[in-house]
Amino acid sequence: MELTLSALLHMLLFPGGVFALGAGLLLKGVDRRVQARLQRRVGPPLLQPFLDLAKLAAKETLVPETANRTAFLAAPLIGLTGMAVAAALIPVPGAYSGMPEMGDMLVLFYLLPLPAIALMVGGSASSSPFGALGFSREMGLMLAYEIPLLAVLLAVAMKAGAAVGAGPALSLTVVVGHQMAAGQFGFSPAMLPALAAYLLFLPGTLGVPPFDVPEAESEIVEGPLLEYSGPALGFFHLASALKTMVVLGLGVDMFFPTPLPGGALVNVCWFLAKCLALMLVSLTVARAATGRFRPDQAFTFFLKYPAPLALASLALAWMGF
Amino acid sequence: MNRTTEKTYALPIGPVHVALEEPMYYKIELDGEIVRGVELTAGHVHRGMEALALRRNLFQNIVLTERVCSLCSNSHPYTYCMSVENLADIAVPPRAQCLRVVAEEIKRISSHLFNVGVMAHVIGYNSLFMHMMQQREIMQDVKETLYGNRMNLSANCIGGVTHDLEAEAFAFLLDGLARLEPEVARALDIYRTDRMVVARTRSVGVLSREDALALAVVGPVARGSGLATDIRRDAPYGAYVGLDVDVVVEQGGDVQSRALVRLREIQASIDLLRACVRAMPAGPTLAVLPEIPAGQAIARSEAPRGELIYYLRTDGSQTPNRLKWRVPSYMNWDALGIMLRNAKVSDIPLIVNSIDPCISCTER
Repeated sequence: MELTLSALLHMLLFPGGVFALGAGLLLKGVDRRVQARLQRRVGPPLLQPFLDLAKLAAKETLVPETANRTAFLAAPLIGLTGMAVAAALIPVPGAYSGMPEMGDMLVLFYLLPLPAIALMVGGSASSSPFGALGFSREMGLMLAYEIPLLAVLLAVAMKAGAAVGAGPALSLTVVVGHQMAAGQFGFSPAMLPALAAYLLFLPGTLGVPPFDVPEAESEIVEGPLLEYSGPALGFFHLASALKTMVVLGLGVDMFFPTPLPGGALVNVCWFLAKCLALMLVSLTVARAATGRFRPDQAFTFFLKYPAPLALASLALAWMGF
Repeated sequence: MNRTTEKTYALPIGPVHVALEEPMYYKIELDGEIVRGVELTAGHVHRGMEALALRRNLFQNIVLTERVCSLCSNSHPYTYCMSVENLADIAVPPRAQCLRVVAEEIKRISSHLFNVGVMAHVIGYNSLFMHMMQQREIMQDVKETLYGNRMNLSANCIGGVTHDLEAEAFAFLLDGLARLEPEVARALDIYRTDRMVVARTRSVGVLSREDALALAVVGPVARGSGLATDIRRDAPYGAYVGLDVDVVVEQGGDVQSRALVRLREIQASIDLLRACVRAMPAGPTLAVLPEIPAGQAIARSEAPRGELIYYLRTDGSQTPNRLKWRVPSYMNWDALGIMLRNAKVSDIPLIVNSIDPCISCTER
């Protein structure tokens, strides 16, 4: 009972729920602002993502006549709840050690595709041809970027486990603990390819250019999101903010987890700062410097670069480097 | 082209679509992500302008034709005025002819920068889009400073021009061109070599030289397919008679070639503007107008999108008996059928944008 209560609190307040939502939306605000500055624009206020949500909350949710009403309205919630659970599994080094008894990296691997699946369900339930196109694109892209993700997770687990002398350490708590003792993976030569692969995986999973093919605004007008409006659309935005936080936090935990000496508050800020740095490198700057791949080009890209990089790290970790 | 079969499904693009600057309805037959057929439905911006022209006198029609479309808003009144001048044998003073070329080339630069900028937007390269629009702003400033307007210049009138530009204005123009020139050279380098741009635009929407000839496409679409046609050189009019127009040709026939043609034409236009300012004759800017007789006449010009033709028939009264224009986009529409054949969904807006369609002109 106690475990369930604390697990619930972790999902709803910290580090999931309210905290992850606030941090994720704020990070998105920073991203938009920096992006604008890189393009010599003024950009929106930092709190624009919050304002957008407030606006959506006040609007009406329209359901297309030909849509499957239940699936259409349930889809955004699938992604949101999935990400709220996932956020609770991400340790904040120095402030929160995670919930190893609730789930490890494999559980995360299964939770992470939920927003994409929600997008596919919503898109196909909306009965719009753009939704159908977005569905097939998301599906193809997901298959492509899940391969490097799995290889990165396994490489990290293998490396952390090898030091303990056991099999792969799938618990993020163990992974973080090991790095605090033996040095961060982000500075280990054997893990650099995995880090690079993870940086390339981030824009893919978050649907950020050059990999925004499922929602490509100027091609298929937001694809699955086209028919969504009001709070239902807001839930998709919420899920996306949570997911941003989850994947960035996962990246920090896997490669740069070392906390600062000091209290929990200092380390929460330090964690957010590292998430921000990760986001600026892999999302903001990359987005400003590229266009959008064609779906087939994005697919080939993931098989060509991130997958071999992650597998290289996995092989090196296997051999004990 | 095709009917829906069991394998294909219909995707509506437009009439309102993010990547389309103007309304046009494309019903696309798709097989997965591959285009199997395209059906066009037009008419969303038909304003009955040819009928309106018959209810206005010859002078009022300058204002009307200027409003056919915003991007070619100088080519229309320019060509219309030429048709009246051809009909009544009006000799436009040399200074006015030179000033008309200045207005026309400034508009051409803006129009081309807009199109290549939008191309970057369509492939999701928003930084490049913003950059191109910022460079276009140089020309917008020039237009506003020289003519007082950012889009409709109101530069032309029958027998000459409305604005005589002074030395100060020319200095401002030359300064703007000096700032624009290195940026265009840089943009040309980006559009030619940037890996993202190349990956999305090379060998996409190919129109072969033969097809281009058969469909009689005009303007940058023809020149991008290796056809060296340009009314400014082939049938010179006004001050173009004395100017050396560099006809830019690219051989690829794809989306990239058409963008490169436009960027290189900007460079050619910069040279033309400088030549015009250097050789600007002195004298009046308006001819003394005779009575406009009954008769008919044609005028042709090279608008940013290609050959523009005006036909005018008068009956001796103040209003035209018939005013008809054939716009370049009309000739280029059909080429879309060939360019879009077996294209991918992602490339549809890109290919449509590459012919720089002017729907307001076509439907008027």
